[in-house]
Amino acid sequence: MTDEPVVRADGLVKRWGATPVLQGASFTVGAGVTGLLGANGAGKTTLLGMILGLHRPDEGSVVVLGGDPWASGPEVRARIGYAPEYEPFPPDVAAADMVRHIAELHGLPRREATGRASDTLWEVGLGEERFRPVGTMSTGQRQRVKLAQAIVHDPELVLLDEPTNGLDPGQREGMLELIRHVGHDLGMNVILSSHLLEEVERVSDAVVILDGGVVVARGSLDELRGGGDELLVDVDGGAEWSDRLVDDLAAAGVRSRSISPGRVLVALPDPGVYDTVRDALAASGASVRRLQARTASLEEVYLEAADHGRVGS
Amino acid sequence: MTDARILGTGYRSYSGPRLGPRHAVWTLSRHSFERIMGLRRPARYKVLPILTFVIAYLPAVAFIGAIALLPSRRLGQFVPDPGQYYAFVTAALTLFAVLAAPEALCPDKRSHVLGLYLASPLTRTTYLVAKVAAVASAIFLVTLGPPLLLLVGEALQNDGPRGFGPFMTTLSQTVLAGLALGVMFTALALVIPSLTDRRAFASAGGILVLIGSAAISGVLAFGLRLGDGWLLLGLQRLPFEVTERIFDRRGLPTPSGTPLPTLAVGVVAIAVTLLAATVTWWRVARAPVTR
Repeated sequence: MTDEPVVRADGLVKRWGATPVLQGASFTVGAGVTGLLGANGAGKTTLLGMILGLHRPDEGSVVVLGGDPWASGPEVRARIGYAPEYEPFPPDVAAADMVRHIAELHGLPRREATGRASDTLWEVGLGEERFRPVGTMSTGQRQRVKLAQAIVHDPELVLLDEPTNGLDPGQREGMLELIRHVGHDLGMNVILSSHLLEEVERVSDAVVILDGGVVVARGSLDELRGGGDELLVDVDGGAEWSDRLVDDLAAAGVRSRSISPGRVLVALPDPGVYDTVRDALAASGASVRRLQARTASLEEVYLEAADHGRVGS
Repeated sequence: MTDARILGTGYRSYSGPRLGPRHAVWTLSRHSFERIMGLRRPARYKVLPILTFVIAYLPAVAFIGAIALLPSRRLGQFVPDPGQYYAFVTAALTLFAVLAAPEALCPDKRSHVLGLYLASPLTRTTYLVAKVAAVASAIFLVTLGPPLLLLVGEALQNDGPRGFGPFMTTLSQTVLAGLALGVMFTALALVIPSLTDRRAFASAGGILVLIGSAAISGVLAFGLRLGDGWLLLGLQRLPFEVTERIFDRRGLPTPSGTPLPTLAVGVVAIAVTLLAATVTWWRVARAPVTR
């Protein structure tokens, strides 16, 4: 692997008519599995379209696998696999034929495409079903066919747009396991677009959080969740007291953030911070309700980032 | 003792050749051609292509058989030359353009597979090139195949053009006419499907445009006697007016008995083809895939 980011976006702006969708999104995506998080309408699918070179940025630039997807679309897309959110298959085509067809479109000779289509469908658990028309398959099976056609040509980057849509909990579990397998065992870089925090948190190494067309947080999960070690402090008195505590800690050189009124997460780079927190609480006169070592959930990170419009490091 | 081993199968990384965008165009073109022709599909999808080819080829085969079995003096003008044969493929061409060609474009939009295609090394332009190639290939099988078969069949039985020169002239006229007819019908066959994602609507629209325009122009020119020029609006007739000129004939019958001016036929034929191609391109260029 090189140090070159898989995707680098700088100040991306995109409008559909008068409606702004992306408003200066900047981020980098490195190797591994990256979650692209955001509410419905946050601009995730538009962003994937720009990574594929299907939409031209109104402003800004995006570099994918070292190339400009708008200027060099065919070359860049040959190295990408894409599973869209919608159902993209003619119902009367057999899964193996469809996957082989997509492999050929990405440049594989017919013989290799045929063999790999079969192997890939086995890999996603559809070996016995591979000659069935896609239209006769269940939602879970069709999602697996979508994944198979996205990885059949061994791409360097796989874009998955809401891959667990319509799946029951058991199927969802299986799909997340497959995505983790693709990213970690098969060595492909994956961008997983989803509005479901929990599934992104479970399979991703890093996240990019979009809200209102801007990137409000980005980085590895450990970075965003405070390195995995944080101290949760609940104080009486609401936001006024928690904000005061954050300020006092900042003055003492300790990084902390208010995640809701009366609740503060303090980073714990070393055990000496406990003493600093104790002293700050004593000096502020706040009534302490809870002190607990913990790791912030991605949901807390997301809500805080969306509330504050903060761009994480 | 053998070196044979059972190797585990499963997903492996790929380090073989990657053939690039041209291969993608060829792949899509072949796939679309197969779907249009009903290949690798249930039997009901094969009925229309088979019917089309039976209508187009059967008369040629019958004429060649008649030449083989009967003396030419008894056949007289019964057997057409390649230039006259197009009257026999009109129905096949119309049937194919209206009912089979929509398969090339409509399902891609309706099933959203267009989004997958444009996420591959294909662009909108190369996507359309592949579709045009697929439809044109199928149409050329109807516009070129039967007249060439008849020409070769007649020549093999000493019943065609006399001498090498006339034979080559007729051969080049046949190829040129087949290509012109194929290009025009390809443009007409794709324009309506580019406007809708439903095959039924595309077929109904095709009938309206091809057969409807022929009926209306016929009524205006022959029924109401408003002038021969109205015949140029008959989109089913226009391509055959072009082939008449390629074979140095006077043209199809008109109410006044005067053939339509060749220049007018040429200009309108080119304009209609370009207009249909432009509309098709415009629709494909703006087809939504993902937002």
